[in-house]
Amino acid sequence: MATKRTSRKTAAPRKAKTKATPRKVVRPSRQTRSKPQATANRAATKEAIREKIVKAALSLFQTKGFDATTTKAIARKAGIAEGTVFNYFKSKDDIALHFFEQEVDSAMAAVRDNPRLKKAPLEEKLFALVHAQLEYLAPYERFIGSALIHALKPSSPLGPFSHRAMELRHRYLRFVEELIEESIPKKQNPLGFLAPEVFWIYYMGALLYWLYDTSEGKQHTLAFLDRSLTLGAAMLKQSKRYVR
Amino acid sequence: MSDEHSTSMRRALSLANIGVGVAGSYLGYALQHAFLGEGERGAKLKATHTRAARRMADEMKSLRGAAMKLGQTLSLQTGTLPDEMLAELATLQMSAPPMHPSLVRAQFKQSLGAEPESIFKEFDPEPFAAASLGQVHHAITNKGERVAVKIQYPGIRQSLANDFKMFRALSKPAQASGHIPKGAIDEVEQQIVAETDYRKEADNAEFFRKRLAPLTFVEVPRILREYSSDKVLTMSLMKGQHIDDFLARRPSQKLRNQLGDHLFELFYFQVLELQALHADPHWGNYLFTNDAGISLVDFGCAKYMSKSTVGYLRAGFLYPGSTSSPEFRHLLEKYYEDEGRQLAPATRRALVGFAENFYRKVYPPDLEHAEPFDFGDPQFLNDFLAASKDLFRARGVLSELIFMVRAEMGMYQTLHRLKAKVHTSAIVRKYL
Repeated sequence: MATKRTSRKTAAPRKAKTKATPRKVVRPSRQTRSKPQATANRAATKEAIREKIVKAALSLFQTKGFDATTTKAIARKAGIAEGTVFNYFKSKDDIALHFFEQEVDSAMAAVRDNPRLKKAPLEEKLFALVHAQLEYLAPYERFIGSALIHALKPSSPLGPFSHRAMELRHRYLRFVEELIEESIPKKQNPLGFLAPEVFWIYYMGALLYWLYDTSEGKQHTLAFLDRSLTLGAAMLKQSKRYVR
Repeated sequence: MSDEHSTSMRRALSLANIGVGVAGSYLGYALQHAFLGEGERGAKLKATHTRAARRMADEMKSLRGAAMKLGQTLSLQTGTLPDEMLAELATLQMSAPPMHPSLVRAQFKQSLGAEPESIFKEFDPEPFAAASLGQVHHAITNKGERVAVKIQYPGIRQSLANDFKMFRALSKPAQASGHIPKGAIDEVEQQIVAETDYRKEADNAEFFRKRLAPLTFVEVPRILREYSSDKVLTMSLMKGQHIDDFLARRPSQKLRNQLGDHLFELFYFQVLELQALHADPHWGNYLFTNDAGISLVDFGCAKYMSKSTVGYLRAGFLYPGSTSSPEFRHLLEKYYEDEGRQLAPATRRALVGFAENFYRKVYPPDLEHAEPFDFGDPQFLNDFLAASKDLFRARGVLSELIFMVRAEMGMYQTLHRLKAKVHTSAIVRKYL
């Protein structure tokens, strides 16, 4: 219902535009017009295929499990040749990492793009961040569990020692640091340098809590996040009193 | 005895550990409160009833939820707490920690499938009152109706269940000695767990809205089922003021008397006519208007009474004869028997004492010459508490009556604050 309405809306102004275009306007020559458009088109197709692969992979990770899923099966599910998969991703770990990058980006955007959160207290911003992440992950819960275990293998690109995973974590924690600084200026926060690292451990704990939470609608996770973040933020705010 | 005590202690501790591991305890919220300090705590909820709670000593504040209600029934009788504090306790509410707007949205969305802003035309992210187990927000529906939206704090049901596990174990000695009747904890737990399901509350509100219609001075909110679930309850906004604000405007003695009569009639109409009772006497649940009207809110705790109980009360209220007569004794014995208990001589003496030292004073039997009873004098509250203590010591507490007595005590407390003069016996007589 909603999509219909929006498509009609977007269609209408386009029509009006073509009608209003005066004939005199000199159109760009074929060559100049097609070149950037073709590149754009190509990029769009590429992105579409990439998304197709990720979608197919996630659905297989979720139903068959991460370990049991092969790139061959992913290609078949996506309706492309196996070789094409490798044009986009080095391995299935690579696909998983891409998914986690998207997850982190969307959660950070959810906090930044929400005008209501601008003046919110620290604990609320952090709550919104973690909650957005968990909402993103929710449809793939089974896969998240196996990915966590998989990530512990030393050679795994998902593991904490792979370059790309480290980069992602760094970006995420830099963002957390920003959020903390917005509420507590650096000078007043002697534990500030430690806070993002502690938050990372906390986040991992919260993720595990969420995975093990069997309450209806993951109600316990909501309560856990709320109570622990409130406590954490309060401790951070008072840290100046105890640390010199 | 000490052995038994330590075993149950250990069991309680281990159970508590399990509980805390899974979902924490309701008491945990209180600890969180203590940690945050006064400033942050008070910042979000400026609701009037917190003023009532604030009057209490800090240790009492940590007695919340299951602990609070059980503590009430226990400490009420053992005389471990000052009387005024007990009186305050009867009207304290189970309050969960306040929720920030993001948590409110998450909780609302999980329950009703969309964020409040997309369901309502307007939604105020700041709560205007604390409610049992959650908080209340103003909103306007798409049809333009002003409503109150009550939203429950997540995971509360499990927290309460954990507390009850602990209390069952902790209170084993008192159960064994007969001071707490076997069914008492079940009764309290059942009532409190029922409060966590807002759909039950919606049912209660609809029941009382229909059945209280004959009392024209009482208003009950209309439930908007389409915006309600087990954790969200949307109802029409009620008019009136909480008792603090009402009293701040210095209402006349006449108005206070009228309101006192109305409160009194509301109580006895419910007990004797409806055989059901709005059983949460917390001050936040009553709104008063300038024409002595009463708006009732929050129907989470409703007690539906048995026929035999109401029959017994009917026969016992304003008992015309002597309380030491064999007939009165027979009446008491029969009721205790119906409730599966034997009436011990000590219990009977305590009940007779209650009737003589409290009820005969507050409810004078001679209707012709009776002046309205003045609730402004605090002596009657002390009499009530002293009589309840005796009854507890004599092991005379009946599970069936716990919530009625709590509501009754809450009513007396409100009447005392109003300093109302009430036609007690005449009103009860109307419904006998």
